[in-house]
Amino acid sequence: MSDTGIITLIDYDAGNLASLEGALDRLQLPCQRAATPDGLAPDGPVILPGVGHFEAAQRSLRDRGWWRLLPTLVAEGRPLLGICLGLQLLAEGSEEAPRASGLGLIPGLVRRLGPGVKVPHMGWSRVSEHRMHPALPDLHGAWLYFVHSYALEPTVETICVAEHGRPFAAVQARGLVLGFQAHPEKSGEAGLSMLKSTLAWMGVAAPAPEAPCN
Amino acid sequence: MPAKRIIPCLDVKQGRVVKGVQFKDLRDLGHPVQLARRYDAEGADELVFLDIAASIENRGTRETWVREVARELSIPFTVGGGVSHVEDARSLLRAGADKVAVNTAAALRPALVRELADAFGRQCVVAAVDVKRDPALGWRVYLKGGTEPTERSVQDWLWELSDLGAGEILLTSMDRDGTGEGFDIPLLDLASKLPIPLIASGGAGREIHFLEALEHGADAVLAATLFHEGILPISQLKAYLAHNDLSVRI
Repeated sequence: MSDTGIITLIDYDAGNLASLEGALDRLQLPCQRAATPDGLAPDGPVILPGVGHFEAAQRSLRDRGWWRLLPTLVAEGRPLLGICLGLQLLAEGSEEAPRASGLGLIPGLVRRLGPGVKVPHMGWSRVSEHRMHPALPDLHGAWLYFVHSYALEPTVETICVAEHGRPFAAVQARGLVLGFQAHPEKSGEAGLSMLKSTLAWMGVAAPAPEAPCN
Repeated sequence: MPAKRIIPCLDVKQGRVVKGVQFKDLRDLGHPVQLARRYDAEGADELVFLDIAASIENRGTRETWVREVARELSIPFTVGGGVSHVEDARSLLRAGADKVAVNTAAALRPALVRELADAFGRQCVVAAVDVKRDPALGWRVYLKGGTEPTERSVQDWLWELSDLGAGEILLTSMDRDGTGEGFDIPLLDLASKLPIPLIASGGAGREIHFLEALEHGADAVLAATLFHEGILPISQLKAYLAHNDLSVRI
């Protein structure tokens, strides 16, 4: 697989980009922020981060020209990774914003967590693997860090589930589109290895270590 | 239920992590990034940085180290100290902090908590509360680093904070802080009835103290000296808690 791509990090005022950039930096993966499609790298995966409200995020992506572009990019074969709210935006819709629709790039609906548990679900939870995916390391039993009040209902395409009151999709995949409900940049070593292997699968790898001088 | 969290607390002054007794005789422990790396590697679940000399003048310094910590750390972190406006919080969150802690400013102007929750979501808002046992009130709330008593009881203030939109409570027992005699368990019994997560602070001295606090409803436990001095390695503490059937990230 080619490893020439540069990761495009969508910057739409709805996420903690500093930490994500830091994580990519530590993994030695090249990335650039893009507030609008003008900043899109010519090739390589696109990351859609996000925290906050579904509808506000959707509006901001529309205003910046990303909302219409993302499905086109995916259709053209560009890999796309949604993180946290970014994953939820990839789905068909969310209870958080019944009038707004999602990108529809992965089938499924996002529903509020609870009842009977503290919401937001905030902290470290263990995931269990439903099925293997070539992009991912073995995540069965891995601890990941979550901060969210809504979550995608598990479907046949769910890779990993976690539980908070009820099971929800922690990792979802369809073709070249992946979504993480957890924050890989906040999930210690497990999170870094998820990011590394997913982005390698999407075509971006760290430079090979220099050959030792003999 | 998410795992119980172990949180080292770091006091920062002018961009350096310091350690002192009651803010006196401060000893330099290093740069925030250095300690952040160490605790990340040791298995801490989260970090809390309290800027003990926050002022308008050193805001730039603070943003710089917060940004550096965010780039290095692979676990979440909270920054507190002198946050009294939405804009203070915005600059910290933009620099990469996951949550901000408020204390005195929230007590003086409770609407601040709601403003922060509205602007950034309640998961970003940690309300720090310092209390001391009191014959009239049960536990009395203190401000300004524990130097100024208020007329508020802990019950009233905690529930008000939760209603205002705090996402989490960081509750410090001033009676126990620095004693190593264990957390104030009756205080935790009371506060754990809150509908939001509770971080217990003040009094940790031995492994069993953490177990007691977590069994009495705390969702997370915070300590400083024990971890800074390496008296109780986090890995050893977690192994102990796991052995006692608590869910911890190992």
